[in-house]
Amino acid sequence: MKRVFTKEKVQMALWGIIGLMSILLIWQISVMVTSLGRIMPEPIEVVKSFLISSIKPVGRYTLLQHMLFSLLRVFVGFSLSGVSGIILGIAMGRSKTINSIASPIFNMVRPIPGVAWIPLAILWFGIGETTKYFIIFMGGFAQVVVNTMSGARKVDKTLVGAARMLGANKRQEFFRIVIPSSVPYIFAGLQISLSTSWMAVLAAEMVSSYKGSGWIIITGMNNGNTVQILVGMISIGVVGLGLANLMRIIERRLCSWRIQGQ
Amino acid sequence: MENTGTVTAKNIMIKCNSIFKTFESKDDENEVIRNFNLEIKENEFVVLFGPGQCGKTTVLNIIAGLEQSTKGEVFVNGRKITEPGPDRGMVYQTTALFPWLTVMGNVEFGPKSLGVKKKERRERAQYYIDLVGLKGFEKHYPIKLSGGMQQRVGIARAYCNNPPVILLDEPFGALDAQTRYLMEEELGRICTKEKRTIVFVTNNIEEAIYLADRIVLLTNCPTTIRKEYIIGLPRPRDYTSNDFLTLRKEITSEMDETI
Ligand SMILES: Nc1ncnc2c1ncn2[C@@H]1O[C@H](COP(=O)(O)OP(=O)(O)OP(=O)(O)O)[C@@H](O)[C@H]1O
Ligand SMILES: [Mg+2]
Repeated sequence: MKRVFTKEKVQMALWGIIGLMSILLIWQISVMVTSLGRIMPEPIEVVKSFLISSIKPVGRYTLLQHMLFSLLRVFVGFSLSGVSGIILGIAMGRSKTINSIASPIFNMVRPIPGVAWIPLAILWFGIGETTKYFIIFMGGFAQVVVNTMSGARKVDKTLVGAARMLGANKRQEFFRIVIPSSVPYIFAGLQISLSTSWMAVLAAEMVSSYKGSGWIIITGMNNGNTVQILVGMISIGVVGLGLANLMRIIERRLCSWRIQGQ
Repeated sequence: MENTGTVTAKNIMIKCNSIFKTFESKDDENEVIRNFNLEIKENEFVVLFGPGQCGKTTVLNIIAGLEQSTKGEVFVNGRKITEPGPDRGMVYQTTALFPWLTVMGNVEFGPKSLGVKKKERRERAQYYIDLVGLKGFEKHYPIKLSGGMQQRVGIARAYCNNPPVILLDEPFGALDAQTRYLMEEELGRICTKEKRTIVFVTNNIEEAIYLADRIVLLTNCPTTIRKEYIIGLPRPRDYTSNDFLTLRKEITSEMDETI
């Protein structure tokens, strides 16, 4: 699948740039001619600060390093919640007994958002990395379980029968039918989980940390430094966008069999 | 009607022994099969021909082992059927291909499950892919194939395990007329080349006469055998020959009487 820059795509990108430019322009003008300037810096200043802090440290680290620290935390917490969520989801989807045991507990814990675990996590694990992993885990785990479970339940009985007719045993039925047909569902869960993980890490960093994108924002607030807050927020947006795109690319690779056409 | 006298037990491939089937739900009983008896010889092509919703799929599923009879047994090759197994290939009406596998992946699924080495199963799968006319489509995913091509994959997949018995449940029912004629011709060709015992379900009379050694006419639900016709026409058959049309008229009028 080669990426082609069609006329339409170029056109859409141009419109996107125009939209972005107009916002910046409106921002710039409002800061110059209205009293907005008292609470907002000029956009040029934010961009400048964004570029400078990529080289010059904010606190102990550069902006890029802060982003990487946040990403690393997400990577650990998300991996943990992903793997265990897939396992529990499949177990609950395939076994009535496990589902009966786990679902009451699970359904009670599920509505509690990841950030609500922050106080407990700090009391249990202190303010170290474990706390962040735990909060990210709690933020993303449920989505993976719910989606995986519904995928494992929706396995087409006809396909299972077809596999048995072709000589597949129970183990093969599981690995060659149940798992692959759940993959799109698992992936949907992982996608949601990753974006909630990214939100959870920022919340955790705002409460207790000395590094990360969340920390940049919160120290910006403490120092009354609007520019720094905005720089932190933009870095969050950029990383979030990058993560979402990454997941989309992986999904396209993994689930290409579902995509009709060329 | 039965001519078991001339048939030794040895070359009987499928034997349905007074099959009864009732589907039971909470407050409902649905008797679908009532006393179904059938013997099919090795390499015979039998068409189960009956009206819609009469229980054709249920009969086939019981032979497949996908469904359990309420009473009575099925023997395939002398072995009692209790569950699905690779000695019977199945082709479904709604293709039932594995959508996440390519054409090759689907066709080699059977031998792979049975532990056939990669080189051998690839060769075998390639042979059947070529046989059903899909050379060049090995790497395609099912979703990108037309209905007719999907059924070709289904047929190749069923043959690839070399089962002595192939069960087909209205495999061409969802195809347009043109494709349907073509597929019937192709299946006829495959069957002369690769001898198997075949049970073919349909509610299309032309298709039945074109393909069958024997047509088993089923009654409405609860179904059983109404009448049997040995089709002795030479192959490949001509849909428009007089013998074909006479037979068609005969069976159709019998149907009209019973329904
Ligand atoms: N799993 C099931 N549970 C309950 N009833 C069933 C089940 N499978 C089939 N039936 C019922 O049995 C009857 C016969 O169904 P079956 O699918 O065998 O008929 P058919 O002749 O193959 O129909 P068609 O021509 O639509 O393919 C129908 O009334 C159907 O509702
Ligand atoms: Mg049917």
